[in-house]
This record gives sequence, structure tokens and C-alpha cells, in this order.
Amino acid sequence: MHYAITAQTVGKRYNRYHADRPRTIMETALWGHRRMKPIEQFWALREVSFAVMPGQMLGILGHNGAGKSTLLQVLSGVVHPDEGNVQVRGRMGALLDLGASFHPDLTGRENVFVSAIVAGLTRREVERRFDAIVEFAELHPFINNPVRTYSTGMLMRLAFAVAIHTDPDVLFVDEFLSVGDLAFQAKCLSRIAQLKANGCAVVLISHNVEQIQQLCDQALWLEQGQVRAYGEPNGIANQFADRMAVKNQMQAFRTYSKQVEIRTVRLWDAQGKPLSMIHSGDAMTIELDYVSHHPCDNVIFSCSISDEAGQIYCNTNTEASSLSISLDPGTGQTRLHLARLDLPGGSYHVNVGIFAAEWSIAYDYQWQAYPFQVHWTPNEQTFLYPPRQWEIIPSPSVKQIL
Amino acid sequence: MFLHITQARSPHKRQLIYYRDLIRELVVRDLKLLYKRSVLGIGWTLISPLLQLAVFAFVFRSVLQVKIPQYASFAFSGLLIWTWTQSALFQATGLITSNRALIRQPGFPIAALPIITVTTGLIHFLLALPVLLIFLAIDGISWSASILLLPILLAFQFILTVSFAYPLAALNVTFRDTQHTLGVLLQLMFYLLPIFYSVEQVPSSLQLVYHINPMVILLEAYRTILIQGKFPDWPLLLLLGVISGLLLPIGYRIFKRQSQRFVEEI
Repeated sequence: MHYAITAQTVGKRYNRYHADRPRTIMETALWGHRRMKPIEQFWALREVSFAVMPGQMLGILGHNGAGKSTLLQVLSGVVHPDEGNVQVRGRMGALLDLGASFHPDLTGRENVFVSAIVAGLTRREVERRFDAIVEFAELHPFINNPVRTYSTGMLMRLAFAVAIHTDPDVLFVDEFLSVGDLAFQAKCLSRIAQLKANGCAVVLISHNVEQIQQLCDQALWLEQGQVRAYGEPNGIANQFADRMAVKNQMQAFRTYSKQVEIRTVRLWDAQGKPLSMIHSGDAMTIELDYVSHHPCDNVIFSCSISDEAGQIYCNTNTEASSLSISLDPGTGQTRLHLARLDLPGGSYHVNVGIFAAEWSIAYDYQWQAYPFQVHWTPNEQTFLYPPRQWEIIPSPSVKQIL
Repeated sequence: MFLHITQARSPHKRQLIYYRDLIRELVVRDLKLLYKRSVLGIGWTLISPLLQLAVFAFVFRSVLQVKIPQYASFAFSGLLIWTWTQSALFQATGLITSNRALIRQPGFPIAALPIITVTTGLIHFLLALPVLLIFLAIDGISWSASILLLPILLAFQFILTVSFAYPLAALNVTFRDTQHTLGVLLQLMFYLLPIFYSVEQVPSSLQLVYHINPMVILLEAYRTILIQGKFPDWPLLLLLGVISGLLLPIGYRIFKRQSQRFVEEI
């Protein structure tokens, strides 16, 4: 079986032009050719590689400006890559600018024909699917009215119905599910699932992490035009969600009220000795010294462990353990005992925070201030290193070599 | 590099049917929109050259007293022929910048757009043709076998117009005033073509330069077969065919090369 889509080290370079680059023949004649040249070039995509089999769905995650839409344009062939190769097998369909090719003065029927033919069907093929399209869009009574009389929801339904009935082998979807009511969204999703089951390869851009986890067979996380992670969707979507959360948290608590202050944090090993390095699976105690300037009720202590890139591996707080803590003015200490830290080797940080009731105020927060190392011998790529043991049970049907 | 492999279920035959359907559907859409936007609809394509003809008749028959036999047929044929190329070129120039949705549609053959515009122009031309035939009849011109060459001339004009439409549409993406500039140039071209005067009135010292313009050769050929009822100058016609055949791939090549940048530029 062939791949439906392959991308090999794909790169797309954009030019940045002079702010008053001439846009007219007149200006060019007056100011000359100099300002026509780009002043700077930047890579919107670089070294992006992946492959999608027929019947698979690839989810693309990334912040705004990470290159998601550019990637979709390169995959669909409307923008040509400057580096690498893209190969697409079969008819392409797209849920990109839904309804953009509709003309307000034409009727629904006329628009269905125009947009379906533009999307790649012959007239005969549209005729055969016409009833199905109208039925899917639930627009039977209005199909002979000009589409300028349609509501936005009706327009989107019709556009989606057309796009989904072109029998694509490869479907590109750009964040469409903000469209229509919930019932129609569910219908769209089940139709996409049906196409997928019939062997259509789907590439989906979504900010909705759960959607990616539920629908996709693979996920690709783009950051500044490069692949941050590619593979199994659950893990990647979670990492992405964490990263978003950390970013938001960092922004939300840039200033701290300091009614309760963190004085220092110490890390202890199981024997009660200060530690800067542990082995995978060792215990660790995090000790936090604080000083409270006012009496406070329902204080929350929060503690997390992250790696150099800011990826959070472990995150816990006193509220989650249903602890209700009241502080009197003065100094105090809190300890968090971790029985095992099954992390792979590398450099990590302990992050601590003290918050008011219901996270309304951040009294104090220290991000990546307390480093420690995890010592590591196995040569494995993993996020977690639980205690493990392999057991090989000889099968009677398999002849063992040696 | 972008490689799109179409599978065995869409062989060449389907592809051809598809291009036919696509061009037909978009031409019909253009015509429908024209028809729906005004009460007169398609009638506009006739009214404009007829009004121009009335002005010509007044200026050149009564004021300047140009001595051209069968002047109504002469001027009207020139007007119709040039209107096709002029309006098609003008509209084709704005094609890419005004069709964002189509340009962004995966798999859409952008190169079909100028062909669609020129075809729409051809339909208008053909709709106005009966009026020209009425003028010919009024002027007492009877048809001869030479009229059978009309489709060949139409084909040459079609190819010639498409050849220029391609680079102009691409140029308008880089320079947004191409369409305005072209409007002025086409207006000037109108006076440089033998539309309301005849080629014979051009001074003999300028005849050679004058005939460099393929449109001049084309207009003459049209009139030879329609008004004089003779077969045109074969070597000139052959030359026209060769010129059209050379210009089309050049224009197409320019368009194709530029088309990779269309989406990022608009």
C-alpha cells in the first residue's frame, strides 16, 4: 500500500519586503528596481517530514503563527515548497475557506454546481450527488433561493455538504468546527469518520486537544515552523496542552502580591541528605520555607517538576489533596514527599507556588529556580521509567533460535 | 517540489471531461451573473457597440466624410472584433487578484481562468454576430464560401488573446495598477487599429510597421472574408497562425512560473 501523503524535509521560505515596496508600475518606474528586492527572508516551515497512510488522520497542533496553515497550503499544492518534497496521491478535498467560492446572486443550486465542479467533480458526478448534498445540508426548501438570503449557518452547511461529497482521497481540514450548531458539528465529524473508514487520508488543524486525541492516528506539533514532536497523538496533545497552560500561567502571574513569600526550597533524598542528583526511581522530598505577613485562610501550595524546555512532568497541589491550610503571620515549612520519581535521565527543575483560596491571587511563584539531575543508564527514549521486568514466555508454536 | 499523483480511477478521458465541464460551468456563471445584474442583461453586449457605431456613423460619414463603402458593416465588424479582445484582456488582467477563493482551492487549474474569460467574450461575440449579419444584408453583401473560414479566424483570435491574457494576469499580481495602465493602452490601441478607418489610408511608408501588429492582420482577414467575400491572403494568415502558436506557450510559461507565488502575494 502506498502512502497517501508524504512530506520529506519540507521547507517554505517567505520574503519580507521593504515597507514601501512599490506595488505599482508607476512607483517602480519612479523609484527603480532596488526596493523590489526582499530585505529579509525567513523560513515559515523547515525540515518538516511525515507520512500519512490512506484511512489515517494526522492532527496538526501549534500556536498562532507556528506554520500550520502554511503547511496545509504546501500539502495541497497551492503554495510550492522551497525545499524538500511533497507527494499527494489521489483527489484532494479541502475544508479551508468554506463557501468562499459562493456567489451571493446565484441560487443554492447554481452555487452547489459551481463549487462542486471547482472542487474537482464533473457535471455528471455533481448531478448524481446533488440530492445527497442538499439533504446533508438540510436546505431542501431553500435550494432555489439566491444564497444572499441564507444565514451564515446555512451557508456553512451548504459549503460543508459540497466539500464533503467530492469523494476525496485526501482531505485537508483547517479548524472548521466552530461552524454551525452542535448537532451539525457532530454530523460533520461522523461524515469525516466515514470518509476515513473508506480510506480517505485526513490532515486536520485543530486547537482542540481533545479532538486531536479522539480522532487522530498521529499528531504533529509545529513550533516556529519546525516539528517539535511527531507521533502518537495522546502524548503529543497532552504535552501541547501543558505547554499552553504553562505559558498562560506565566503570563497570568507575572507579578506576585508577596503576602506570603517563598524564602527557600531544599531538596532531600530518602536518607534526609541534601540532594542535587538522584537515580531514576529514587524518592525525593521537597521542603519549602515561607514567611507569611498576614493571616490567610485556604492557602494553596503548588509544586511541579519540569524539564529544561518547560515541559511539566508532575504537577500537584494541596487543594487537589483536599487540604485546607490556614496561615498565621510568621515563618513556616511545608514538605512534599515523593515516594518515587520515575523520570528518565536529564536536567529538571522544581517549581513552587503559593496561592490564595481558589487560585484568585498568586502570593508567590518560583519557576525553574531549583535544579536537580536525574542519573540514567538505560538507552531508551521515554517520558516515564517505572519499575519494569520483561518476561518471555516461550510459545509452543514458535521455534526458538538457540 | 510538489508532486500530485492522480490515481487510475481518473484517467485522461475523465480529466478532459472535467476541464470541459469546468470551463462551461464558469462561463455560464459569468453569463448568468451578467444577466441577473441588469434588466437588459446580455443586451448590453449589443447596445455598447451599436451606440459606438451610431457615433462613428455621425463623425466619419457626416463630419469627416470618410469614403469607405458599406461603412456600417465595416465599422461594426471592426468594433465587435476588437471589443472581444479588449474586454477579455481587461478582465483577464484582474482575474488572479479578484479570485482568491479559486486560487486557494487545492487542485484547481488556475491556468483555466484566462481561458474562461476569453470564452465568455467569445460567447458575447457570437451573440452579437447575427446583428453584424443583418448589417451585411442591409449593405447588400451576399455570403460566399469564404465565410466558412470564420471559425479559423475566431480560433486565431482566441489563441492570440489568451496568449496576452496569461502574462497580464500574472503581472497584475506584482503590480496592482496593471489593469488601469492596460485600460489606457487598450484605449490607445483602439485608435491604432483599422476599426473606423481602413488600412489603405495608412501612409505607405508606415505600412510595414503598421502590419507588425497581429491584430491588424486579423481585422483585415475578418473583413476580407465577411465584407469582400474573398479568401484572405494565405501567407499572412499562415503567419498569423505561426505567431499565435509561438506566443501561446510563451505566455503560458510566464503565467505558470509566476503562479507559484500567487497565493502568497494576494
